[in-house]
Amino acid sequence: MRRPLLLTAFALLAAASSPAQTFVFKGERWEVNDPFKLDNSVPPKPVVDEKKGVINVIKGTVDRTTNRGGFVSTDTRKLSEVTEIIWPTPARLQEAQNNVNRGEPAKALDNVEAVLKFFEPLKNVPGSLWVKASLIKLDALDRLENDAATNSFLTAFEKEEAAKKPEVATQIQLARLMLRARKGEHDAVIREATELLTKVDSSELQARLHLTKGNSLLAAKKYEAAMTTYLRVPVFFGSETEMIPKALLGAARAFRGMDSPALRDQKLEAVSNRYLYDIIVSFPVSKEAEEAKKLLPPEERAKAEADQKKIAAGGPLPEGVMLAKPKLAAEEKVEGNK
Amino acid sequence: MLIQESRTYQLAKAALLAVLLAVTPVTGVLRAQTKPLPTAEKQEDPLNVLYKAADKAFEEKKYKEALDLFQELEDKAGDVANSMKAVLSFRKATCLFFMKDWPKAQVELTAFLDKYPKGTEDFFDGDNRRGTAELILIEAFSKQGKWDQALARLEKIRTNTLARPEERVSAFTLSAQIVVDRAKSSTDDLKKAAYAQAISLLKQATAEGINTPERREAAYKLVEMYTKLGLTKEATQLKNEIDARSTGSPVEVVRSNFQRLEIGDARFAAAESAADEAFRGDFYRQALNNYQGTLRRVNLTRSFGKAIETKTAEVEGMTKAAPKPNAEQADNIRRAQLDLEQFKKIEAEFKANKDYDAFISYRIGLCLLELKRPWEAHVAFLDIFENSPEFSRIAGAYYYHILALRRIGRNNEAQAKCKEFIQKFPKDEMVSSIALILGDISQEREEFPEAIEHYKWVLANVANLTPEIAEEIDFRIAACLFSQVDWAPAQKAFEAFLKKYERSSVRQQVLYMNALCSFFQGKYKETKIDFDKYEQEYPKGQFIPDVRYRQAIVKFGVNPPDIAGTIKLCEDWLKDFAKDRTDEVIAQTPEVYTLIGDAHIRMADELDKKVKAADIDLRVNLKTPDRAKFAAIKDKLEKEKEAVTGKAIDAYEAAAKSARTNPQALEFVLGELRKLLPGRGEHKRMRDLFKEIFDWDHNDPKAMTYLYEVIRSTERMGDMPEFAQQAEKVRKDFSAKLADGRKAVDQLERKQGVTRPEIDTAKEAVKKLSAELEAELAKVEVKRQASIAEQKKRALKILSDAVAESINDRKQEGTEKLIVFLAEKLARKIKRVKAGAKPEPGAYTSADAEKELTKLLRLEENRSSLVAQARGFFALGQLAVFTREPEKTAANFAKIAANFKAEELNPTILALVGESLLAKGDLKKAEEFCRYILEFARSSEYADYGFAGLADIRFGEKKYAEALSLCNEAIDNNILMSKELDLRFTRARALAELAKYDEAKAGFKEIAETKEWRGEKTAASLYWLGLIEERQATDKEGYARAIAYYRRCFMTWKKYEVWSAKAYFSAAKLFASKLDQKNEAKLILQEMLQKDRIKDTREAEEAKAYLLGL
Repeated sequence: MRRPLLLTAFALLAAASSPAQTFVFKGERWEVNDPFKLDNSVPPKPVVDEKKGVINVIKGTVDRTTNRGGFVSTDTRKLSEVTEIIWPTPARLQEAQNNVNRGEPAKALDNVEAVLKFFEPLKNVPGSLWVKASLIKLDALDRLENDAATNSFLTAFEKEEAAKKPEVATQIQLARLMLRARKGEHDAVIREATELLTKVDSSELQARLHLTKGNSLLAAKKYEAAMTTYLRVPVFFGSETEMIPKALLGAARAFRGMDSPALRDQKLEAVSNRYLYDIIVSFPVSKEAEEAKKLLPPEERAKAEADQKKIAAGGPLPEGVMLAKPKLAAEEKVEGNK
Repeated sequence: MLIQESRTYQLAKAALLAVLLAVTPVTGVLRAQTKPLPTAEKQEDPLNVLYKAADKAFEEKKYKEALDLFQELEDKAGDVANSMKAVLSFRKATCLFFMKDWPKAQVELTAFLDKYPKGTEDFFDGDNRRGTAELILIEAFSKQGKWDQALARLEKIRTNTLARPEERVSAFTLSAQIVVDRAKSSTDDLKKAAYAQAISLLKQATAEGINTPERREAAYKLVEMYTKLGLTKEATQLKNEIDARSTGSPVEVVRSNFQRLEIGDARFAAAESAADEAFRGDFYRQALNNYQGTLRRVNLTRSFGKAIETKTAEVEGMTKAAPKPNAEQADNIRRAQLDLEQFKKIEAEFKANKDYDAFISYRIGLCLLELKRPWEAHVAFLDIFENSPEFSRIAGAYYYHILALRRIGRNNEAQAKCKEFIQKFPKDEMVSSIALILGDISQEREEFPEAIEHYKWVLANVANLTPEIAEEIDFRIAACLFSQVDWAPAQKAFEAFLKKYERSSVRQQVLYMNALCSFFQGKYKETKIDFDKYEQEYPKGQFIPDVRYRQAIVKFGVNPPDIAGTIKLCEDWLKDFAKDRTDEVIAQTPEVYTLIGDAHIRMADELDKKVKAADIDLRVNLKTPDRAKFAAIKDKLEKEKEAVTGKAIDAYEAAAKSARTNPQALEFVLGELRKLLPGRGEHKRMRDLFKEIFDWDHNDPKAMTYLYEVIRSTERMGDMPEFAQQAEKVRKDFSAKLADGRKAVDQLERKQGVTRPEIDTAKEAVKKLSAELEAELAKVEVKRQASIAEQKKRALKILSDAVAESINDRKQEGTEKLIVFLAEKLARKIKRVKAGAKPEPGAYTSADAEKELTKLLRLEENRSSLVAQARGFFALGQLAVFTREPEKTAANFAKIAANFKAEELNPTILALVGESLLAKGDLKKAEEFCRYILEFARSSEYADYGFAGLADIRFGEKKYAEALSLCNEAIDNNILMSKELDLRFTRARALAELAKYDEAKAGFKEIAETKEWRGEKTAASLYWLGLIEERQATDKEGYARAIAYYRRCFMTWKKYEVWSAKAYFSAAKLFASKLDQKNEAKLILQEMLQKDRIKDTREAEEAKAYLLGL
């Protein structure tokens, strides 16, 4: 009986502590309504707090009505006057990211487009979520494997001021590499990814680059190199949880490729199956888990699914499973641009 | 090990603490007077100049100089305001503090606090520095180990509600630190109590949040205490909270990072000492999480860079904004400069630590190794070799990497790594251990000459071997010689070892092995002496059972053998060790029984000689009155021999039944029993024995052999000896009658006056008797056949049971072998008839065999099992192979293809059915099956079917590069069990189509020249060689070379009409079009069209048309 109360308390605390959507103008800060927060009406309408500013995207303004002692006045500021944005990650953007992870790129695009459209006029303002949304869109397009659309989006994206930031430029470079990998230019992709790896310091990008390089090595049937490249992700970038299932799947495939009757003693098929098992048990709601199920022999698939259910119900971790771990709280916190 | 390594980042931590100490006590950094001295109106007062000089020296950290100047100033200042005196006293105390002159600092600070209740008043700013003085006085107390005084002062601050809040927070933090320091050299319990007390103090310091530097400092300390007490969850939570509020300054980034490492190390240490396996795993996992969460050098360097950049800009901005700064501005600028200087110092110290990244990889590798993730550990250690070859702990990295490589089964790589290490670091302390591993790997793989070579190499090349390792290597060399049955050198090595290491811990083993060397060389006298020596030294030694067994063998081995003595020793052995259930004794028991059996067989052999002699005596005395006596002797000897042989068989049987853990002994006795039992008609005994052994483990690699023996014995059981006896009895019964009858006929024929009818009647009687004999014998034969049929049925049932046991288990690849065996047995029951002819009525037909097979496989019972049903179709297909009905085979395999997914089948079925589908042109399904093999069964013995099939499909689709890649992959990885020829052929064809003619030619030539591959592919290769020559030809000689190959093809390989037709036609076309020899072309085409085999080929049709055009 106490649990719901506690949860409510936590929810309230969470709500109380979450930062509000704020536009910073020169010498002034306005809290604004979140246009992505909708009520339960049909069709749903945005929830509006009258004390906060209302954004009018079409006019390119923010309007704020204030009531001072019965005297109502409306202030209007242009969006172009915003100097900084403080905005927690909108649920739709988070959902878009989840869609990508779950292998639902079309849904991800639906969700991300709304955010992109909203931040479009503010794309170059510090704190704008436009870049973040664009990168998620890039991910979704990549999952869709729609090369034409990805290419056209990349071309437009590259022209933006925001794309000149080193980390964004690298993401674009990475997306281009992925496109080239799909065209089969694996040797070039391997070479360029290796080169890029020496220049990139963000662990997320490092992990992504390793994945891209691993994919090309796998396609080029360089299984051993692919395996070591993929495994670098769980070994060194364990907190990049979105990348882990992809890396494990790649590693499992690389092990399969390495297998041969001469290496029977190394039991590479069993090693590969173990990684597939890990994906199913540790990342059950991911596209890779679905892929892993297809790759596992029926008997082991059934066992993995049963174990996953046991773990989900609070059962102990099977021996050797190390990936089914909660992320460190700090890493888990997605505080938007805060 | 990790504790030692922590030193590397302790250096950086020390730098960090230096920053904090430098900043903390001087929060109100001394600066020039804000209030001018009374005489400093227009012309600068000398005292003021002196003060500034002292202040400058202080800022430049020349504390001794500053102290002297402040002292001079105090001496000269005379009667000045109390606040000024207080300032000078405070400054002097600070100088002494920084000079680490704790006693004098204590005196000066105490004086300052006692004399000046208002402190420096408002001389510096709103802070009168009494709080600071209190804190550094406490620090001075604690540095001198005056804990109680320090704590008493701190308590005053903590409880003083008038004190500034941040001073109170710092007092709590410092109190906690002192409580812990005080307990440093106490017992563990007291230390723990101190940590708990410190936690309580620090919790009070952080009770109102961690939003100020002082509170954050307290929080950092609290994380440290939590970590020390193993409260990782609390430590991690609080640390994350601190991180979330981090200002991003490099001090905080570095501190946070190292704290994470510390938490990781604490968890690692906890894991190392945890007794409970479950906890250990959790601790290693937690340690790993922390290590993985730490920032890498590049990230830290970047944050340093950014911070320095920002701070530099801040300093520049401040300097620009205030070209002539007032005192407060100057103070701010100096503070910013100090920060900048410290940031740079941290950065420089961090840069100097080259091992940072490598240590993180090292720790991660260790955790992964402990968490039984050797592949990941391998990757972690590889990172060190690739990116930090100069790592200070590279020896450790090598060692653990070698362990990881061994765990993943990469022994060759592990050995290469060992050698690399020894060559690179010949003087490292780990060299002995690694050298030992080098040989150990070979020894473990039973590659003894290599192991010896490695060990000798180590002895010769490793300079600083420890005596223990040197001794172990000497022992291992001798043991390797022993293992590779080089008895004389092994004995020499053992003897040398015993001399060199008289008190070795392995002396017992060496003595024993040394004796064995004599034993195996057949030196029984020496063996006895050696074993006696062993027994004398180790009367209860671990090898006593074996020694006693060997002594029995020695008795048996001497000439003449002491049979009775041998058997006695063996029986005593069995009696004495009957209750000993050690593995060694259990494994030796069958050997002892075998020796008893061997001894009895030797006795039987001796008796056999006597029987033969008795037989000769009997024959010689056949017509003498002593016949009965000699017959009795022979009979007695035969009975004795029979009894002794029986005992031998009993002993062998006992040996077999007790040899579950001794496969060598088992194989030997089974071999003996296979010779003895069937000859004596003891098929049932044979069947029962093999059944028992088969039932030990149906998955044993030899289980199939045992099962075959069970089935064969069962079948033989049908032909029981009593049938032969019955037949013999019938024959015996009738032989006297027949002899009398024939005699009567003979007499009648010789007798005068006997009429023809009388003779005919006598002859008729003989005929009748003969017919009766035949009828009686036939009755026996019917019974015999019925008995054989019955036993065959039983045998099939046994086989059926064995198949049914695993028919639902997709992974049991042996099941297919049993199915093929079963199908073959049933196929043999079918009476073959010529094509088109009807079988005799009631004969066992292939339809009957199919029904029986379905029944034996119990397919009805296994209706719900997909793999069982698939195996049913597979069995029927295989039966059709034996009955030579290829259409039925194809039809059954097609059913598998239509009704089952690849994942429901196993590699054997996938491969054989896939091959059939490919031949029938069902490429889609064939591809699915081949792909599945490549994806899921690369290590199976059918993996090459997948590569060959898929390559063939790709070649057919004209995707030559893909086909080539698949063939290369299979060939490069030696995946060439049954399909090597197909793979090499497709590879050569793909190369030819990709215009890589030289390689293609080499490939085809290899096929054409390999005797074992002679057949269709030889013909095809010759044709292809011709085709390549034709494609490359630019002149008549070139075309002539092509024709030569075509000729070889159609002249040598007429039976492969497809290829010979192609070769004929191609040669004719070349004669006509390139060599202008139309007559020759005509002759070739005419010859081609005369061949019956070629007439119906597509080339023949084209050739006819071509011939008309010539």
